[in-house]
Amino acid sequence: MGELRRIASQGIPDGAGIRSTVWKLLLGYLAPDRSLWSSELAKKRSQYKHFKEELLMNPSEIARRLEKTTGLNNDDGKSESRCVLSRSDITHGEHPLSLGKSSVWNQFFQDSEIIEQIDRDVKRTHPDLHFFSGDSSFAKSNQEALRNILTIFAKLNPGIRYVQGMNEILAPLFYIFKNDPDEEMAACAEADTFFCFVELLSGFRDHFCQQLDNSVVGIRSTITRLSQLLKEHDEELWRHLEITTKVNPQFYAFRWITLLLTQEFNFADSLHIWDTLLSDPEGPQETLLRVCCAMLILIRRRLLAGDFTSILKLLQNYPPTNISHMLYVANKLHGQASH
Amino acid sequence: MGHRVDHEYDYLFKIVLIGDSGVGKSNILSMFTRNEFCLESKSTIGVEFATRTLQVDGKTVKAQIWDTAGQERYRAITSAYYRGAVGALLVYDITKRQTFDNVQRWLRELRDHADSNIVIMMAGNKSDLKHLRAVQEEDGHALAEKEGLSFLETSALEGTNIEKAFQTILTEIYHIISKKALAAQEAAATSTVPGQGTTINVADASGNTSKGCCST
Repeated sequence: MGELRRIASQGIPDGAGIRSTVWKLLLGYLAPDRSLWSSELAKKRSQYKHFKEELLMNPSEIARRLEKTTGLNNDDGKSESRCVLSRSDITHGEHPLSLGKSSVWNQFFQDSEIIEQIDRDVKRTHPDLHFFSGDSSFAKSNQEALRNILTIFAKLNPGIRYVQGMNEILAPLFYIFKNDPDEEMAACAEADTFFCFVELLSGFRDHFCQQLDNSVVGIRSTITRLSQLLKEHDEELWRHLEITTKVNPQFYAFRWITLLLTQEFNFADSLHIWDTLLSDPEGPQETLLRVCCAMLILIRRRLLAGDFTSILKLLQNYPPTNISHMLYVANKLHGQASH
Repeated sequence: MGHRVDHEYDYLFKIVLIGDSGVGKSNILSMFTRNEFCLESKSTIGVEFATRTLQVDGKTVKAQIWDTAGQERYRAITSAYYRGAVGALLVYDITKRQTFDNVQRWLRELRDHADSNIVIMMAGNKSDLKHLRAVQEEDGHALAEKEGLSFLETSALEGTNIEKAFQTILTEIYHIISKKALAAQEAAATSTVPGQGTTINVADASGNTSKGCCST
């Protein structure tokens, strides 16, 4: 496994579905022992199927089911005409106009706001790629998969639900798994993506949580760590950015960090960066911060010559760069003694 | 776009774009600063930033415009972005009633985080989608009047009123600032020892304020 991480961190070849398998291994979704794969995968995929049935159902369906189960205790005459609910059969809490917190309808209306947000963002995911965007049935079914995964995640994680940007983190995983040349793997891409997404997010789900913004695990503290890292490795640049021109790192690093650099480079380059991020045995965070720091150092001359406006424009539209070199520079920051 | 340091402007005004997710904030920004519209644009995460320099009452004004994510979760983070803002363009979508109903929430947000003198313009965007209209223009006018905001219906797609919306905000800000400068100068003139001689171009400043009156 250590050897795999070392090799993968250099970049995984694009063809033959290698990346699809390696990412699943790196994320711990596939066990290192190959003999366990088929049974493990079958278990997970059936679990996902179950989630889908449970969580993507509309309230009428739930009401019908409730009726079915409670119907067993009713006298036989009633349960025959099951589809026509007599008034007394609907418990007060489950009436569509009930304001009770437990009402499935209340939950449904709350969810619908989230579902609309998910839908809006799924349609805006990689509008430049045919895989995700356009009117082809292919793109539509891919969007449907993203929508399902995000909705299920939101329902299973009521503390976070859906936060804008999660679609961007989900997209590379689904793209890679869906394009696996192994047909069975491609067919189960939605389920596999779901679990890998949960796994990936578990490392920094706190970034998406507003209540934790100011805690040590929140996004602010992570951005501060980037700032400290830069100060350690290039104090002159740090001083210019934060003291002289007052460019608050939140203005650019917030997106870099929450989206794992998926919006800063072209898609192929982001995949390459992710090979490196996912290879870190301690989770992607530390490597991510080093890559962000390398991004700043690589354009230090332009940054040092800039004022607030030009610096921010440059950092919000990071110039095309040699990714391998950038990752090399980031790696060199690793373990370099602080002065 | 160069990275040179430029100071070729008389005023720098920071404007924030706010409003619900999907109302078209980013397209308003790209239309105004780059003359570009993108039907399928990515959602904004965190903040985006663009500038444009234009003439307001004969002065060169650099508008520094901040575009923020619409979702509630991002508001805590974006509160930092309100710092120093002198203007806000509060956008709703005329085809989505909910985005109009949420205008009050955004006004509260501004009251909590922005300077109390911030100049606010409300924009009912997507006016090109007439057949899908869910908010009448009169409703927009009525709310604007009640809250003391300027108001325009805009279309980033067709470019309708985008220019005018920013011109209106910037002109209003400029008038307030020049009036304040004038008042400060008058105060300084009466309180300072005569003969200290801070030369004040009163004639010039009053000339500007007398032109007054922002467009609609």
